[in-house]
Amino acid sequence: MPITRRKFLYSSVLTGLAGSGLLLGCSSTSKQILSVPEPADTALGLWIRIGSDGTITLVIPAAEMGQGVTTSLSTIVAEELEVDYESIQTVLAPANEEYNNPEMGMQGTGGSNSVIAWWEPLRKLGASARVMLVQAAANRWQVPAEECTVEDGVVLHQASGRSARYEELTVEAARLDIPSDPPLKDPKRYRYVGKSVPRKDGLEKVTGTAEFGIDVQVPGMLYAAIRQSPVFGGTVASFDEASARQVKGVVAVVPVPNGVAVVADRFWSAKKGADALKVSFSGGTSVGASNASILQSYRQALEESGKAELTGSRGLDVEYELPFLAHATMEPMNCTADVQPDRCTVWAPTQFPGVARTRAAELTGLEEEQVTLNCTYLGGGFGRRAEVDFVAQAVLISKAVGKPVKLVWTREEDTQHDFYRPAYLSRVQVQLNEQGAPESWDHQLAGPSILSQITSRLMGLEFAGTVMNWLDWDMTSTEGAGKIPYAVGSHNVDYTIVDPGVPVGFWRSVGSSHNAFTVESVVDEAAHLAGRDPLEYRKALLQEHPRYVALLDQLARDSGWGTPLPAGHARGVAIHESFKSIVGEVAEVSVENGQLRVHRVYATIDCGRHINPDIITAQVQGAICFGLSAMLKEQITLKDGAVVNSNFHDYPLLRLAEAPDVSVSIMQNNEAPGGVGEPGVPPLAPAVCNAIFAATGKRIRKLPLADQLT
Amino acid sequence: MKQLTINNQVVTVDVDDDTPLLWVLRDEVGLTGTKFGCGIAQCGACTVHIDGVPVRSCSYPVNSVPESAQITTIEGIGANGLHAVQQAWLEEQVPQCGYCQSGQIMAATALLATNRAPSDAEIDAAMTNICRCGTYPRIRKAIRRAAELMA
Repeated sequence: MPITRRKFLYSSVLTGLAGSGLLLGCSSTSKQILSVPEPADTALGLWIRIGSDGTITLVIPAAEMGQGVTTSLSTIVAEELEVDYESIQTVLAPANEEYNNPEMGMQGTGGSNSVIAWWEPLRKLGASARVMLVQAAANRWQVPAEECTVEDGVVLHQASGRSARYEELTVEAARLDIPSDPPLKDPKRYRYVGKSVPRKDGLEKVTGTAEFGIDVQVPGMLYAAIRQSPVFGGTVASFDEASARQVKGVVAVVPVPNGVAVVADRFWSAKKGADALKVSFSGGTSVGASNASILQSYRQALEESGKAELTGSRGLDVEYELPFLAHATMEPMNCTADVQPDRCTVWAPTQFPGVARTRAAELTGLEEEQVTLNCTYLGGGFGRRAEVDFVAQAVLISKAVGKPVKLVWTREEDTQHDFYRPAYLSRVQVQLNEQGAPESWDHQLAGPSILSQITSRLMGLEFAGTVMNWLDWDMTSTEGAGKIPYAVGSHNVDYTIVDPGVPVGFWRSVGSSHNAFTVESVVDEAAHLAGRDPLEYRKALLQEHPRYVALLDQLARDSGWGTPLPAGHARGVAIHESFKSIVGEVAEVSVENGQLRVHRVYATIDCGRHINPDIITAQVQGAICFGLSAMLKEQITLKDGAVVNSNFHDYPLLRLAEAPDVSVSIMQNNEAPGGVGEPGVPPLAPAVCNAIFAATGKRIRKLPLADQLT
Repeated sequence: MKQLTINNQVVTVDVDDDTPLLWVLRDEVGLTGTKFGCGIAQCGACTVHIDGVPVRSCSYPVNSVPESAQITTIEGIGANGLHAVQQAWLEEQVPQCGYCQSGQIMAATALLATNRAPSDAEIDAAMTNICRCGTYPRIRKAIRRAAELMA
């Protein structure tokens, strides 16, 4: 696989460099891209196009969902290509294997891995293009390439005083062989990597011109709204088409696998039609489930798995409970599709364009080559848009009516048909020795398996999902608990898959989103039991991990750990590694009359070599707000197998008035790049709850906090 | 038929009376900078100004818009280049996914139009729009910066 991908990458430099209307050396896969019905001189190469006016367009192989990926990847290419960062403009890649994420082996954005995965390949891409442009100049001037230098998109030959701009060399350069091992820039000479260049998408996003999926307009387009089975996996028992058709503007009523779509000339008519539709559903995977019944099933599983015996008084035996959570992206699920007999075009805000295209091909009976899947900006992803359910629906609806259709979910549909962060129940037993250090740590975990569901649902491998259930194995459930950095003596984690039939999926920081809360709270409990300062206690158990210790020292300095606070204020700390980065956070809180206030949060991140400190800071600030929102108030409530919450009034999210001051520091080192989008989330809840304990003596073992302090 | 003045341009639309202003702006007039988030005036992604007052257009039926009303959307606030609030938003690098930011900016411009030096509490009270990415710390900073730019 890697060899094939690499080959494609290099061959794509060739096609990608073709500017000025010349598209040369297309590989077989690139023809699909280059056959878009546009004049050749505006068609984009697969990676880099240098226009005759000197503008450089970089195709971004990852989804932009807030993490600033168009900026970070442009920065890498600008650095190696030796061009002004400002001269690069970006477009989002459509579905094409050429853009497969090297770490995933498929086209996708997730796991905070865009910089991790693309750092090497894009450096080489930029460097290869630079080498070819220099060679083109050298050939033209009949001089050795080694005598040429490059500065800001201009090749210079000092001895003869000649120079040529990249755009004057592009056509010739594109004919040259792609170097297999181009020399990479010495990091000491970096102009952009490690500096806070402004975001590429900033201007579009403050002027309302950024195009999200919901903004797509196609001539002759109809609009669809949908009603889906409230019970998960339920099917349509019956529906009264006339009830929707009586609404002015409704033109079609289309059943889809778990619901009914109403199609109209306007979205508002479609929505009114869907509201008016008389429909009944039956069956499903979650029939009868409620929060209480699900918790009971988890507890039963934990009782069956048994637990460790503790001796003496220096032991902990505690239970931690976490809820189902919604992604609640601000842009509700939506997709536009145009299915015709011989082709299908889709515009989707998706994290997995390749999977979406495959699904569209399956549903239309077309070949993948006949399906064009265009990607838009995502109005939030957080893992929700790793699913392609909404794409499949749009394709089926357009196929049924034979016209382009934009499907938009209401917030109610979005809240009630998510792929939720699973609810889990954990039990942990820790035995401390005479000195207060753990000598055994036993953790039993019960809850749904994201991976077994995804394996069946997204990849169509039902058997593999069943096997995973049978093995009780899923690293997405146990990550952050299965391997912990602390020296705790014997460590045992026992996971039992319990699937109550509720769809679950990747939610920003995935397994770490719940396991970090349990582990970092329990470490805090152990420190308290041992009578030790929680930050010092952690350091003592982390002596084998110098990066953790260095980070905690930095965090202690940043936060003034141990220094006096205003009366009623207290601090809590947590540290967690996820997606190859370590983040430590200190929360400063007060509790007055049962009301928690999170005054400020200090965060320190070690993400190795990094691209853009300001974006890292923004991501950690955002992750802290995201984590705090969940910790304080988010919880999906199930009753009779269906979600009770419906919109932001009963699934409230954090608002500005509740957002703390956040200070972020970044560790400076040359370790391999780590992820940035997710790792700030996991430490937040335990840091705040540990601070609540320090302030009140009350240990929070269940989220959300809700009214537990009153 | 309903006549509306949007960003100083008069447009005539033919929609049902109960159609929310949001969908008129987006689907009839093609001004897609104003976003749909919740449909029940909770999140503020759809915030526009009617005669300078911020309203949640998802819950504002078009037939309730007064004849003489001036409607302003994100596309209309920076008629001569960027509005100071947009400029401040860029300086502080506020947007992440960006979806809520039109509404946030419209809420902030309305606040600063009537209060050139809002306190923290006044910012808290005026800025009730939801941002799932958690850009709140930067929104607060950007409002202060915009106030400086407008001084």
